[in-house]
Amino acid sequence: MGEFQKTVLHGKHVALGARMVEFAGWEMPLQYPEGIVAEHLKTRRFAGLFDVSHMGRFVFRGAGALALLQHVLTNNAAALEVGRAQYTIIASEGGGAIDDAYLYRFFDDEYLLVVNAANRQKDWDHFQAARTAFAQAEITDDSQDVAMLSLQGPLSKQILESVLDRGPLPEPRRNALSIVTIRGCRVLLARTGYTGEPLCFEMFVARKDAETLWDLLLSRGAAPVGLGARDTLRLEAGLPLYGHELGLDPEGREIPIFACPLAKTAVSFSPLKGAFIGRAALERQHEEFKRILQQDVFPRAILPRLIMPIAVVGKSIARAGAKVLSADGKEVVGFVTSGTMVPYWKMQGEKLASRFGDESGLRPIGLGLVDSRLRAGQPVQVEIRGRTAEAVIVPFHLRSEAPPLARSILHDTLETRVPAAPQVPLLGKVQRLLDMAAENTIWRQQECLNLIPSEMTPSPAVRLLSVMDPAFRYAEHNQVRAFDNAEIFYYQGTDFIEAVERLLEDELRAYLGCTQIETRAISGQMANTAVFSALMDCANQADRTAEPRRIQPVLNHPILRGGHLSAQPMGALRDFVARDSTTERPAVVHFPAMADNPYRTDVAACREILARHKPELILFGKSMVLHPEPVREVRALVNELGLRTVLVYDMAHVLGLVGPHFQQPFQEGADVVTGSTHKTFFGTQRGLIAMNSLPEDDRWRLWEAVRRRTFPGSVSNHHLGTLLGLLMAAYEMNHFRDPYQKQVLANAKALAHALKHCGMNVAGDPALGYTQTHQVLVEVGYAKGPETARRLEESHIIVNYQATANEEGFTAAGALRLGVAEMTRFGMQEADFEPVAEMIADVVLRSRSVKEPVKAFRKKFRDIKFCFTGQEMESRIERLHRLI
Amino acid sequence: MLPQDLRYTRTHEWARLDTGAPVVTVGLTDFAVEQLGDIVFLELPKAGARATKDAPLGVIESVKAAVDLYAPVTGEVVEVNTGLADDFDTLRRDPYGQGWMARIKVAGADALSGLLSPDAYRKHLESEAKH
Repeated sequence: MGEFQKTVLHGKHVALGARMVEFAGWEMPLQYPEGIVAEHLKTRRFAGLFDVSHMGRFVFRGAGALALLQHVLTNNAAALEVGRAQYTIIASEGGGAIDDAYLYRFFDDEYLLVVNAANRQKDWDHFQAARTAFAQAEITDDSQDVAMLSLQGPLSKQILESVLDRGPLPEPRRNALSIVTIRGCRVLLARTGYTGEPLCFEMFVARKDAETLWDLLLSRGAAPVGLGARDTLRLEAGLPLYGHELGLDPEGREIPIFACPLAKTAVSFSPLKGAFIGRAALERQHEEFKRILQQDVFPRAILPRLIMPIAVVGKSIARAGAKVLSADGKEVVGFVTSGTMVPYWKMQGEKLASRFGDESGLRPIGLGLVDSRLRAGQPVQVEIRGRTAEAVIVPFHLRSEAPPLARSILHDTLETRVPAAPQVPLLGKVQRLLDMAAENTIWRQQECLNLIPSEMTPSPAVRLLSVMDPAFRYAEHNQVRAFDNAEIFYYQGTDFIEAVERLLEDELRAYLGCTQIETRAISGQMANTAVFSALMDCANQADRTAEPRRIQPVLNHPILRGGHLSAQPMGALRDFVARDSTTERPAVVHFPAMADNPYRTDVAACREILARHKPELILFGKSMVLHPEPVREVRALVNELGLRTVLVYDMAHVLGLVGPHFQQPFQEGADVVTGSTHKTFFGTQRGLIAMNSLPEDDRWRLWEAVRRRTFPGSVSNHHLGTLLGLLMAAYEMNHFRDPYQKQVLANAKALAHALKHCGMNVAGDPALGYTQTHQVLVEVGYAKGPETARRLEESHIIVNYQATANEEGFTAAGALRLGVAEMTRFGMQEADFEPVAEMIADVVLRSRSVKEPVKAFRKKFRDIKFCFTGQEMESRIERLHRLI
Repeated sequence: MLPQDLRYTRTHEWARLDTGAPVVTVGLTDFAVEQLGDIVFLELPKAGARATKDAPLGVIESVKAAVDLYAPVTGEVVEVNTGLADDFDTLRRDPYGQGWMARIKVAGADALSGLLSPDAYRKHLESEAKH
């Protein structure tokens, strides 16, 4: 083996007792003494460390670099921002892959391309040939000077955090980059990887620092992992390997790039790419691929076969090259491209509480290039040593969307079975339902501490009114210009509800301090979509014949900094926001957060963002919120810059706090306010939209559009019962707002202080009392949120688990979100939150149960305050009861 | 340490003539087991199957490779260590004892002639290692 290349870590592998093998001209560790199975399992459960220095690393610089990259790679390098990476493919003219690769942009003026070791020379030659048309582009081969390591697995993040000198880890999103210092060494860090692990890091260091980094990470508990487990891990993750799923098929033909499921993310036809190598062939593949997704075209000339995951049903192992046959064994439908026996951890527990147990298993899985008409769930056969074995096409072998774990999905758990309905007589079921409803009410209303920030118990009067006639009636109405814009009702028997609606509008206008109110939305999210629709409607008013254009760009809070779902492209905003033609993603920019306080907006940095992006719409409002929104400051900036931006404040959580103790949105310059009427506001569950516009001003068209896009745009029947209840709630809010709001804000600070005093990690600025809203945020440790919230629920304390900006997603939530509004309604005051904090700390820090103390404590706070009481009320409520 | 009472093949199987009826117990040497690394699959013949000297008798697979087991002798398979297919640990720990694979009824007590002595097998391993 003397003639093979060695990475800078070669000596380390040998010293660890690795079995070395030749791979692509390099002498690399196949496995260390513990073996491939153990290395795979350790990566999934703890953290695995891989030497990937054998891969090729090219740096592109200079004036023609971007154009060259656009020409030789399939993805849109122009959309790659500094601090991001992208998967990409080096395509052939025929639309196959010369190699697959990853492009990293750590710096503004250079691009790092990582390619497969086996193809390094071929790729280099290919780039040199293409470079003749881009003379000002420079390419250097940094493979020798730069080493590359990969650290993957649930513990990878905390291992890196423990050795970091300086620099933030990358944002918790795949493909995010950062530059850090570890033990004095500069490390370029990327959240990328080849294992399917959601917590994944690849590192680039100078050659001289590689051994230091390797030793350090091993000393912190990472397990060394060789090429054998690297292959089983990527196979389980469904990731392609050049030479198997990309390149040539077992019969020697070029595999079309679109045959491989990841191609979708690696190929861009952006106009910014111009005529890139393979474009024409790829466009044809893409057309057929789109039609295949719709089951549309037979026979398939361009994509007769696609790469699909296959699971063998028995214990035999399907390996690369094995024939795949139809279920009846009569015809060859494809080939296995990769396959072996892969270990997995057996799970214990369910859903959010599911964890790796102590036992592991083995399962034969693979990827195959098979007939594109096959679908997940369909049986096939695989030819193994002259005999056939049963197998099945599966949609995936592994799921990575529930960090911190990558979860193996076995083929037999994917089979759907309809559970047999239990044989209980109908009358029994009916009575059981009523009993359960009563039990649930007693539990939640009498025995629990309800600290969920988005919830409120309405007063008995509000609740009762919500179920009276006209709760199940219709009262659709619309303004008709012929009748001087009067509201004309389409149904009969509607005089009462018509009067109620007018009274409600009066109360809400008084509450919010505005001229216009729309009450027909039946949720906060619906109120938001009606506003988005209205904005789009106005933008297209001049031309109703062309395809309507969407809104762009939008400035909002990202979901991990507390932005609500409805403000995100993944939520309600999707149908209304345009796609940015450069980034090929929804045209959304985010409010910047303060470096030392992620819960606070960096107003100074907003100026540059507003000037650069000139948003058409700004969405204020959050569901994880500790501070008022900087409406006044942003309005001043928008005016100063002369922008026509519409400022929408989704007050959702904080609608019940509107006033001098919190903020007054219209006085601060908001154009539109939307809200949920059931969080800090006393109402039933509905939405509202408000503007302070009058017919003569220039936002009036928007108001008219809001009305139209509410009805008939979003709602037909606007749920009259909750409308009636909301009127009573509006009376309560207007009458009791001052003492209620003051108490809520004081209670939140009291709870925050008390929790801090008990040793909990309370988020927020101590100088401001941790919170300026009804919410308190408590950090409980990475991924510990869901289980902590569950334990608190077992002790009858109901809170939310919450992902913060440090976590990848809700399954890895590291915080709890608490709200004091509901318990304030039940009469709790500042001093009452001290024992509550103690009980929470008992559960969270000392793992005790406090169920009985909580039940006893709640007994003191069962009567709803801040509502109308007394004999006059009681007798009328009683009368309504009897009328049901 | 190679057991001295066994005979060996170039393809790393061992064979032992059992006292009593001419039955030969066969298995894999610890060298072969160690080379394979993580064993993930084992297919043994069924009782009653025919074994032909130097022809494949079964299959053993690791993550990276599938390897045939060759019959050291000719005869009829009379017993199979069926539990071994679910218990690779035993095979790793005790390949010459509890890790036996099959028992083959042979024609006569001279069935093991032509197989390698422990010394000859050891020399064979050394010469393979040189390449």
